[in-house]
Amino acid sequence: MKELTQKQIFNYLFNNGIENFIGVPDSTMKYFIEHGFKKNKILITTREEEAIGIAVGMSLSQSNSLVFMQNAGFANSLSTITSLVQLYKIPIIFLIGWRGFLKNDAPEHTKIGKIQPKLLQTLSLQSKIINEKNWKASCNWALKLIKEKKPCTLILKRDFVD
Amino acid sequence: MIRKEAIAIVVEKIGNQPIISANGFISRDLLEVCDKNSNFYMIGSMGLASSIGLGVALKKIKKKIFVFDGDGNVLMNLGSLVTIGITKPKNLIHIVFDNSSHESTGGQPTATNKIQLSKIAKSTNYKVFQAKTKNQLAKTFQKIKLIPGPIMVIVKIKKGGVVSKRINIEPIEIKDRFMDSLKK
Repeated sequence: MKELTQKQIFNYLFNNGIENFIGVPDSTMKYFIEHGFKKNKILITTREEEAIGIAVGMSLSQSNSLVFMQNAGFANSLSTITSLVQLYKIPIIFLIGWRGFLKNDAPEHTKIGKIQPKLLQTLSLQSKIINEKNWKASCNWALKLIKEKKPCTLILKRDFVD
Repeated sequence: MIRKEAIAIVVEKIGNQPIISANGFISRDLLEVCDKNSNFYMIGSMGLASSIGLGVALKKIKKKIFVFDGDGNVLMNLGSLVTIGITKPKNLIHIVFDNSSHESTGGQPTATNKIQLSKIAKSTNYKVFQAKTKNQLAKTFQKIKLIPGPIMVIVKIKKGGVVSKRINIEPIEIKDRFMDSLKK
């Protein structure tokens, strides 16, 4: 996704009540994170589960968070999502970079990338793939779910190979 | 000192201030010793009590936030100490009830009798205190009253003791009443 769009997504979410951006970096959303750093709004954690825990604490304090990660990190987080986020019905927006979407991505991403949509489905975690065209509508959809106190996921496809 | 006795001493010292308690026997003991709206019983997601506590502490800077953790829980999320160390919440007090075992799952050993958790915590910018007796524990709470966090209190407890009942409050209710208590 273009640099400008990633910045616009950050600004849009920030201006609409998402106060905290916590997670583990992924190159797919590099510009989103860079832009957040310039605004002093990014907290990088050591693992994804930790980021989710912090976001839960902030949500309990009435402050909404987005948690960013790569899909491999999402797989790390499955138990935290079921036994914390979903169990206590905590509203969090997950922004997940989808490696392994392209068939010629690096080999470590192939298997987990292939089952990413199925993982979301199995967890019954609502999701949308966010792109250049639908980003604003997708953000509005996520913000609406947050207001309804539901967690949701925005997926950013890794559509390039470096 | 067994865990439930240690928890009773600590709870008496901290009154109605928020507590995030780790899964397993720690939350169960806390429920029996002193159930209150400002207790957040984390019944799953082992390891994350300190992360949840950090999130609350960073947002509720006028309140002192207490984390009731176990040695197994801390070892499962040592990265959390790093993030607490870089964010340095002055209002976070991390209490580790340490019996060097995974008591909730049958008493299997953890590594806290072979490594020094206090050194790990010190290297991540915590101020660390240790208590082995009831008297030391009570005195520690006098000492830390005016010291800015992050603070870790390692409470050495004996393995064994009573088994408290399971958490019998619905997770949503635990959340709602905890959130209400934070507003006050």
